Amino acid sequence: MATFQDGKFALSGDSLIENFDLLTIALDSSISGIVITDNRLPDNPIIYCNVAFENISGYRRNEIIGHNCRFLQADDRNQEVRETLAAAIKNGDSTNVEIRNYRKNGDLFWNELYMAPVKDSEGKVTHFIGVQNDITARKKVEHDLRQQKALMEKKIDERTLALRDSEAFLTSIIETVREGLLVLDPKFNVISANYYFLKTFKVTLEETVGKELYALGNNQWDIPQLRELLVKILPTNNPVVDFEVEHDFPHIGRKLMLLNAYRIELEGQFKDQILLAIEDITDRKEIERRKDDFLSIASHELKTPLTTIKGYLQVLERTMPDDASEKFGSTLGKVSKYVERLNNLIAELLDVSRIQTGNIELHHADFDFDRMINEVVDGFQASAHDHKIVLTGHTNAIVNADETHIIQVLNNLLSNAIKYAPQSKQVDLNISNVSEFVKVSVKDYGIGMNAEDKKRIFERFYRGSDIQKRFPGMGIGLYICDQIIKNHNGTLWVESEKGKGSTFSFTLPKKGKNNDEQQ
Amino acid sequence: MMSSNKKILICDDDEGILDVLQLILEETGHTIISEINSLNVKSLIDRQSPDLVIIDLWMPVLSGDQILQMIRNHPDYKNLPVIVISASRDGKEIADHAQATAFIAKPFDYDQLLETVEKILN
Repeated sequence: MATFQDGKFALSGDSLIENFDLLTIALDSSISGIVITDNRLPDNPIIYCNVAFENISGYRRNEIIGHNCRFLQADDRNQEVRETLAAAIKNGDSTNVEIRNYRKNGDLFWNELYMAPVKDSEGKVTHFIGVQNDITARKKVEHDLRQQKALMEKKIDERTLALRDSEAFLTSIIETVREGLLVLDPKFNVISANYYFLKTFKVTLEETVGKELYALGNNQWDIPQLRELLVKILPTNNPVVDFEVEHDFPHIGRKLMLLNAYRIELEGQFKDQILLAIEDITDRKEIERRKDDFLSIASHELKTPLTTIKGYLQVLERTMPDDASEKFGSTLGKVSKYVERLNNLIAELLDVSRIQTGNIELHHADFDFDRMINEVVDGFQASAHDHKIVLTGHTNAIVNADETHIIQVLNNLLSNAIKYAPQSKQVDLNISNVSEFVKVSVKDYGIGMNAEDKKRIFERFYRGSDIQKRFPGMGIGLYICDQIIKNHNGTLWVESEKGKGSTFSFTLPKKGKNNDEQQ
Repeated sequence: MMSSNKKILICDDDEGILDVLQLILEETGHTIISEINSLNVKSLIDRQSPDLVIIDLWMPVLSGDQILQMIRNHPDYKNLPVIVISASRDGKEIADHAQATAFIAKPFDYDQLLETVEKILN
């Protein structure tokens, strides 16, 4: 050791005392607390402590010297590290522990304690040197870190649980919907298929998942329309909604399917995966078709006796003797009128079924709008003796539309104007040009309607709240009118006030809807 | 109106229609042959050589458009005037497609029926 020269303790001082003082100052300059205990004395008392130890422990020197180190543990005597310390003291070993100690004021501090024995020439332990560091701050950081980690782990566990929950929830939704659902990767390989898909197409999960869509079930999904949907349409029109595909499947026969496809655009692990929902609408279409057939047959069967009645009536009218009573003639006339009404009702029923099934066909052609209006008014005026139809305005327009359907709308609006205005004598009909449309307004001075009726008047089978009993009808006339005008890309609306009459107006594009779309 | 006497063959599976058609068409003064069974139409044409045939569309066993097709495919009858009358909603398209001379929708109008018949016969 450099501090020993010629068997004497020496630093640079001249005397042992000088050198000893230097060492003492060095020890007091340390930020680590240092104590020396004398193992030869009973209970291994502290015989030296430096300033840092006083600072760390909060005790004064005179309160420290002579005590065993354990006084620092206060009442906290059940620490496991005490056994380590006791063993080291017993065996004369050095050790390093972290122990909870308490300052004089009772505050806890974490003490990182290095303890080393000092042995005499015979190897007997005479002293122990204890070096103490207050590591409370580090412990706190460590503790905070541990707490943070535990908190994070708890959160991760919770999130994992929540994810598993929501995954299970999603799966149960996917498995519950009565619609086949496939998830495809960008190369059209099946990532997953739900139960309903497997059930509908009578396949197993094993022969579906992991396979290319087109290769499924002996290439039964290799459908040109499906390829077109996925390759041509989906990349530019995402999502694809209600795409109808008809296909003859080897096991289950001809199926009409409604496909809805969505490509995931969100960045992440699911990007470019494709969700393909497949709805088997074969049965639904079949039911629609049967209903359509039924209505068609029913109306045909109703019309047959009607034809006979109308024919006989007309024979009667034409063979009526000249001397027949006026009553006889007018009765025949009334029967004719009601036969005509019955015929119109049957025609309307058929119209509704056509609209329902999307079978309303428009035959667009150019016609002179004002001429058509005049003809309708003349025809109507001839049968409506109690009301005067007052026509104002003109359009001079050639309109491209389905004339028969427009006449049907006009007749419907005019007969409503008369039907729901039994007390008045006049119906106003105005026609005009508005931009690229013609506009028709039919104004009556009748019963009018409340706000609720106004909202719902164009709904199928809807009848005004208080007309139900007073006026006959099925609630389909205005529905048909609305559908016809919509099919022409026009609009039909009503302005009305209860007790003050109603004005029904519609607009119609002069060029027809097809020409519009081409531009 | 009472021009030279012609023969009109009418066929409908409904007795009432057949009767009312006959009542109206008798007004023309022409000879009316009425038949309820569409299977007999072909042989009636062969035997009676009518100037005009009026047929319904929906009839059991042999439908109006099938009869019409048969007539149009027959070398002797391909120009025979045929009026189709029907209550079917696509009656006009079927009639046009099968090359009917005219189509009249049920319920028909007395005057319209006579007008159409006379126009074809003259």
